[in-house]
Amino acid sequence: MSDATFDAVIIGAGHNGMALAGYLAKAGWSVGVFEKRTEEGGALCTEELTRPGFLHNVHANYHTLVGICPVYDDLELVTRHGLRYVQPPVQMASVFQDGTALVVHTDLNKTCESIARFSRKDADTFRAVYEEARGYRDLILRTLMYSPPTSMKEITKALVAWGVEEKSKYLSVHLRHQTINEFLDHHFENDRVKAHLAFHASLAGYATDRKGLAVSFPLLLSKIDNWHICIGGSHALAHSLWEALAQAGGRVFLNHGVEKILVENGKAVGVRLEDGSEVRARHLVASSISLEQTFLQMIGRENLPASLTAEVEHFPHMDSTFFSVHLAMTKLPEYRAASFDPDVNQAWVVNLGYENQKQFNDDWRDVRAGKLLNPRPNAAVNSLYDPTDAPQGCYTGLLRQMAPYNLAKGGPQEWDKVAREYGQRCIDVWKTAAPNLSDDSFIDWATYTPLDIVRRMPNMVFADWIGGLIDLGNMLDNRPGPILSEYRTPIANLYMCGATQHPHGFVTFAPAYNALEIIAQDQHVERWWK
Amino acid sequence: MPDASYDAVIIGAGHNGLCLGAYLARAGLKVGIFERRHDEGGGAHTDEATVPGFWHNLHAQYMEFIEMMPFYRDFDLPSFGARVIKPDAQVGITFADGRPPLVIYRPELADRTHASIAYYSRRDADTFAAIRGKVLAANDYISAMLYSPPASEVKLEGGRSEAIMGRMLQLWLDLGFQPQEMNKCPKVLIDEVFESTELRATMYRQCVEWGANLHTADGFGFVMCVIWLCANHYMSIGGTHTLAHSMAAAALAAGADLRYNSPVVEILNSGGRATGVRLKDGRTIEARKLVASNADPKTTFVDLIGWDKLSEFRKERMSNWRFGPEHVLGTPSFALRAAPDYKSARHNPDINKCFYTIVGFENAQQVSDYILQAYGGQIPDLPGAGTWVNSLWDPSQAPAGMHTMNGWFFFPKASCLSAQEWDNVRRDYNGKFLELWNTYAPNMTRANVIADKLYVSLDMESRMAMPEGDFSHGRLSIMNPGMPRAHIYRSEMEGLYMCGASAGGGGISAAGGYNAYKVIANDYGLSKPWQRENRLY
Repeated sequence: MSDATFDAVIIGAGHNGMALAGYLAKAGWSVGVFEKRTEEGGALCTEELTRPGFLHNVHANYHTLVGICPVYDDLELVTRHGLRYVQPPVQMASVFQDGTALVVHTDLNKTCESIARFSRKDADTFRAVYEEARGYRDLILRTLMYSPPTSMKEITKALVAWGVEEKSKYLSVHLRHQTINEFLDHHFENDRVKAHLAFHASLAGYATDRKGLAVSFPLLLSKIDNWHICIGGSHALAHSLWEALAQAGGRVFLNHGVEKILVENGKAVGVRLEDGSEVRARHLVASSISLEQTFLQMIGRENLPASLTAEVEHFPHMDSTFFSVHLAMTKLPEYRAASFDPDVNQAWVVNLGYENQKQFNDDWRDVRAGKLLNPRPNAAVNSLYDPTDAPQGCYTGLLRQMAPYNLAKGGPQEWDKVAREYGQRCIDVWKTAAPNLSDDSFIDWATYTPLDIVRRMPNMVFADWIGGLIDLGNMLDNRPGPILSEYRTPIANLYMCGATQHPHGFVTFAPAYNALEIIAQDQHVERWWK
Repeated sequence: MPDASYDAVIIGAGHNGLCLGAYLARAGLKVGIFERRHDEGGGAHTDEATVPGFWHNLHAQYMEFIEMMPFYRDFDLPSFGARVIKPDAQVGITFADGRPPLVIYRPELADRTHASIAYYSRRDADTFAAIRGKVLAANDYISAMLYSPPASEVKLEGGRSEAIMGRMLQLWLDLGFQPQEMNKCPKVLIDEVFESTELRATMYRQCVEWGANLHTADGFGFVMCVIWLCANHYMSIGGTHTLAHSMAAAALAAGADLRYNSPVVEILNSGGRATGVRLKDGRTIEARKLVASNADPKTTFVDLIGWDKLSEFRKERMSNWRFGPEHVLGTPSFALRAAPDYKSARHNPDINKCFYTIVGFENAQQVSDYILQAYGGQIPDLPGAGTWVNSLWDPSQAPAGMHTMNGWFFFPKASCLSAQEWDNVRRDYNGKFLELWNTYAPNMTRANVIADKLYVSLDMESRMAMPEGDFSHGRLSIMNPGMPRAHIYRSEMEGLYMCGASAGGGGISAAGGYNAYKVIANDYGLSKPWQRENRLY
């Protein structure tokens, strides 16, 4: 492009980059978003991977903060910009080998009835945790997710001052020393109930054996029924963000990869694009992409203090990623377990294979060791609730399997060799659980490996889909590390607004929303959104 | 109560729908564009079809109208991210026996084109240069013909309709043709004008690419369109979709709303006037002033309005409707480790860096036989193709050091084969092409291919809502610009307009959208930028 100037230059047109751009554009700023790929949306990526008309969500499939995250309302995504969601009434299920099933509904009573078939006590406990967490959910999410982070120490103090140990049955300052497993073992008794709740945590990137993650668990449970499908595929959210931004005067430039961030006198003043043109930023540059790209490539080691380089290089990436099979289907699965609970056939996301916590623990251990796991995929058929994602009479299916990026045997490149066979093994698990499915039920299927993630999304270093390990040591004011946390960087006017920042990736918008708050403070942006 | 209300409702976010939407929104109308797919651009479409990181244009490949397109300039599409380049070596044909390639360069490099054609025939080289020079000198008027609705719909200002047609006739005569030769089919005309089989093969292929029937369409159109635009091809940096994205961005910035995954299933009308649309999920959208359809006429009139509601005139037209052309694109995508290195390159290395390279045909007869097979409903035995390796100019379209290739086969219409037969074509035909390709470029071996995929007529139908894979919305005369086609912009239903390829022709010209705007601007008293700037079109 020819050289240009904007008030704000945003690197990366993922959902965080576009949301920040949207707020700034609506504040009257001129904003240019520069994206390396030929689509906006980043992980909000929907493609016809198998056959035309089958819309496969290649990355983000689950939208868990609809109705909670302020961005949807502030940018009028639903009311003005065409975004549509459906909240499946039957959200998730686990089907077990003996033909039983545990089903989570949006109707709490139904969920509790399902749990009660395994354990009456656990059903009561679940209801109690859910209701308690529901009570403080919005307050805590507002404070913890949608505000620039405070330290764990401050949070602990606040909880003690509030009298958490007396007032709450499940929240405790001691959770910061506990794993989700320990929380589950402490409060629940039935293996399968615990397995399903562990499955729920795993889907959100929360390892069940990692110390400290129990702190978030009551909150995860409080929105266990708030998982939404974006009608028309997750890319539709990107489109609505783009429309909000474009109608406010902002611009998104696709295939305009940033090569360098221009720094003069310690201040970020713009970017140089891969085509050599320069784009100046009057007020700020904000990066929504990885630390490695932003600092090591776009600023360059030679321009960075050793401490900052070390922080980037030692940033812990997520310890597991996923292998997917995307299927074009002519049948909906009918599970063996439907004779136990017919609702399982209506469940959006189904856990196929995890029966107890030990299996999770083993898999977390093995995936960290780079092993190809014995498949226990989860199956999601969005077409159950979004018929627009497949041709009439057909269905779009997704199998997701926890997987390492770097295979111990053969490294990441090995994925190209094993993908098809491993995909078939995942499908076979599904066929066993839902015997009406046969090879004839699939018009076509495509695998999507951890290596493919890296090929498509250069931002997802080591196929890290959530922008850094989910770990207490990598959260709050410590994410991604002491120097680069809290959205500011040592370079004036250079901000971080993506998944590497508190709280983490996923479709939360929180990194962008919190970066916006910091930017508003620094740059005196009028807060039209408050 | 409708679920939403707009002044203008546009059916389809193909590039023509986006163009019309942008102009209408800029003119102050509240515009809603309703798209069936999950993405904008229709045939202006790019996918990571083989391996992530390799970008493939599954449909529209080259942009021949960039220099003329009013939409591109009026909305300053580069300011929305559009970037195009025009490679030097444009159209080439290469040979398995290793004889020199024939390369046609961009118009500014006429000497090089002359030298390349002259290797086979000095007379052809002189003739090609003379015809091309005269046609290009009439560029403004040919463009005006493309970017003006027919005079039967809107009488152009200041006698322009007459001036444009007059200039065309004058050009035809200046080229040394008789008026009665206008209806000669392109093959006959090419054979009469050019003697070398190499140039004839290249011209046949270019003609077919235009969707023209080599054996029955009109020679006038061949000269005016094919010679005019041949080797003036631009490539969209980042893939064709990037261009569509900039068009959508222009429409959004002008205030239009763009709604994806919103197939229109009915055009609502009341008292003979189009009043809105109904979407597949039941929502109704009010159109206070007009509805414009970017879809093909059969879909628009028969499926969306309904047979019973059609006028006698339209029933008659639709009874005689046929999708066309007789041949449809099949798009092979190859992810390559190395770009092809042709035997013919030892004579002229430019063939290895030619934007569009014809592979698989040793002479003109083979091209003619090939296309006759497609016309006849068969998959051509000889799997020759036109090929593009866009990563030669735009490394962003492939991972570092690797290459992305797309081509065009020509296949019969979707309904000529069963779904199972198309599956077989998908499975086998790329492999056959690769074997043939290898005889032209010895490094094109299976080991050089990381992955490949073939997109066939049936895929085009289901993905793009181009019934039968028809990319030109009905069988076209090659000479459709300016001439009333069977289906024009203003329909017999008040407030219903056509804005797609059926009226303006296929290809990424945005003529359908722009001309529809001219007609609508005339009917509704909207601003007329071409008048303000006193442009020819």
